[in-house]
Amino acid sequence: MTALTSHLKLLEAESIHIFREAAAQFRAPVLLYSIGKDSTVLLHIARKAFWPAKPPFPLLHVDTTWKFREMIAFRDSTAREFGLDLIVHTNHDGLARNINPFDHPPSVYTDVMKTAALRQALDAGGFDAAFGGARRDEEASRAKERVFSFRAAGHRWEPRRQRPEMWQLLNGRLGKGETVRVFPLSNWTEGDVWRYIALEKLEVVPLYFAAHRPVVTRNNQLIVVDDARMRFEPGEKPEMRKVRFRTLGCWPLTAAIESDADDLDAIVEETLAAKYSERAGRLIDHDQAGAMEMKKREGYF
Amino acid sequence: MTVAQLKQTVQASSVAPSRAAAEAPQGAPLLKLLTCGSVDDGKSTLIGRLLWDAAGVTEDQRAAVTLASHNRSVNGERIDFSLLLDGLQAEREQGITIDIAWRYFETPGRRFIIIDSPGHEQYTRNMATGASHADIAILLVDARHGAKRQTRRHAAICDLVGIKRVVLAVNKMDEVDWSEARYRQIEAEFHAMAGSFSFAETTIIPVAALTGDNVAYRSTTMPWYSGPTLLDYLESVDPETEPVDAPFRMPVQLVLRASGDFRGYSGTVTSGRIGVGERIVDARSGLGATLRRIATMDGDRSAAVKGDAVTLVLDTDLDISRGAVVSEVPRRPINADVIETRLVWLSETPFDPEAGYLLRTATDLTPVTSMSVSALVDFETLQAQPAHGCGVNDIADCRILLGRTASIDLFRDLPLTGNFVLVSAIDGATVAGGVITWAQAGAPTVGDNVFVIDRALLARGLCADLGDSPHDQAEFSRRAQELAVVMRSAGVPVLVEI
Repeated sequence: MTALTSHLKLLEAESIHIFREAAAQFRAPVLLYSIGKDSTVLLHIARKAFWPAKPPFPLLHVDTTWKFREMIAFRDSTAREFGLDLIVHTNHDGLARNINPFDHPPSVYTDVMKTAALRQALDAGGFDAAFGGARRDEEASRAKERVFSFRAAGHRWEPRRQRPEMWQLLNGRLGKGETVRVFPLSNWTEGDVWRYIALEKLEVVPLYFAAHRPVVTRNNQLIVVDDARMRFEPGEKPEMRKVRFRTLGCWPLTAAIESDADDLDAIVEETLAAKYSERAGRLIDHDQAGAMEMKKREGYF
Repeated sequence: MTVAQLKQTVQASSVAPSRAAAEAPQGAPLLKLLTCGSVDDGKSTLIGRLLWDAAGVTEDQRAAVTLASHNRSVNGERIDFSLLLDGLQAEREQGITIDIAWRYFETPGRRFIIIDSPGHEQYTRNMATGASHADIAILLVDARHGAKRQTRRHAAICDLVGIKRVVLAVNKMDEVDWSEARYRQIEAEFHAMAGSFSFAETTIIPVAALTGDNVAYRSTTMPWYSGPTLLDYLESVDPETEPVDAPFRMPVQLVLRASGDFRGYSGTVTSGRIGVGERIVDARSGLGATLRRIATMDGDRSAAVKGDAVTLVLDTDLDISRGAVVSEVPRRPINADVIETRLVWLSETPFDPEAGYLLRTATDLTPVTSMSVSALVDFETLQAQPAHGCGVNDIADCRILLGRTASIDLFRDLPLTGNFVLVSAIDGATVAGGVITWAQAGAPTVGDNVFVIDRALLARGLCADLGDSPHDQAEFSRRAQELAVVMRSAGVPVLVEI
């Protein structure tokens, strides 16, 4: 076994341990499945943790209605293939008010269609713990997270009052009104995720692989036109360019990168050599300073 | 192209052997390191500098930090490296570290996890959290001031949680004109202090985080120092490894049942190894069995070693559940009902002998019948002084009586089955973290006088309103466990078998 695979095996074992601790201690867990590469690894490890039984919790996808079509198709076929219970939730109140990524600033859109939607779905399901694929290497406030991240009533994250978390001991006893976000991939990096996907031969959404796609350029960001709802600026016309995504979200708010990486090895190489962080392509994170922390305080995962 | 076809393409492209995956960092695969020390001694700046110079920073992060440094401009045109770590808004506004930050980077030689901890006494609980996850600690002092009370507290916490290798980074050498005499003075003080602890190895390096001297690059201003730079040290130090013949332990996390009469015990091996065909025992009940399978989704294994997350299938069904520690037969855990401990108190609410506490060991939760403090560590002399109470940030020696026996080891023998956190029975908060220093074996609790909570009993009454849905079954299990906790608190030995 090479040092690298032994390092990935360590991370995998740690993640399995976390899944089992949460399943043993919480009454009604749910897995936040957002279809991307991190969710793919998260789900794979959940299956390993409880094999030969199925994971003892459903998947939850918060659908803003603005996800790439290939993501939705991948989501449905994944749930079918593994015989898992999939809950899809959309904030219908936001939909009725026509909150969308073109007419509203990213902070408003995200708050209504993602954060509020997530709170609704967790409350409706009576879930006391939600697994998420967040990694500490993603962003500065994520780097401060516990593995069991406690949320006060109303799903608020209080970063100044995080519970101590010592050694491998995960204390899941809840206080009144508290719920927990559980992050089994806390110690994984973007490079680890791709190396693991290659090692375990996992299927991922094809958008991660470079292909010719219709692109417009806005503020130096490449936006792939995924459906007819695109609002073009005067004179704007999509051109076919060879691009791929490092991170997947709502298509009008997720920038692609120019790339020739069309297989996993090429993606691993490109990721390890990257000069820009992964979230540079996430438009919602740059709307204002401390944007991620604010979203998390409001109940975003 | 349909999605199914696209997926096939993706699958096909991943079959080829991975080029990049073969280019692995060699040696110890992973090093977790902690930075600690008193406030304003420059911990975040040191780690920010290390990341900056050792290429752990992307272009957009460099640009953001450069911009924010100039906007703040406390250091003139200098980069404020601490901005790489202090990710919370309150931290940036106040220029302090509140909670630990986790950072990840690789050099050609090694993969690192860096845990940057806060220096303020108020946030000691966060530092203790970070320390418990680290293989080695970088303890910082300001060359002008030397070790402070909080430096000694942090050193004592590193010792408590089991860190064996400590680097003293004498920072801000630029502020003392790179003086060798000052460095030697601090070195002597540190050696005197380290004598109070059980560190296996200590190293001292003079650095200047602001200018980068002896961080990733060798200093030209301190020719009198010939030891390693901080980065050299980190790339060559090896974390403590467990002895090859450590006894086998696997605390049971869950009992897994699946179709075809599958019944297995899931958990992570915390020490030693076990092979198929070998005998195992549950120390609490004394029941033994032979290991028939080590089941994983990747196929059965012939053996499991420390760190492996596995499911054990036995030749006979033992009546054990979560909290049991499966062990080898000759060297078993202690089936203890009285323990002596050293702990760090983390809650702002002081210790109260009348409050209800639960002891969380590996996967077990045991009610505490009574608890008393015998001594506190004095952070001036580092000696334990007799005491009867303890409060936030104190290190205390405590005696704990348990409501029933628990399978534990002494921390110095087997850290992962010898550590614990103390949990408030009222609100679930983690109030202290500690290690077991001595234990007294109690009588086995399985026998005629054990009350068994079984499915039929609960289904008749307490859970009569619950059906077969997963939600109801989870609630069934929750009520059973809560009932067990209440009964154990009242001194009744209980087993849950649902």
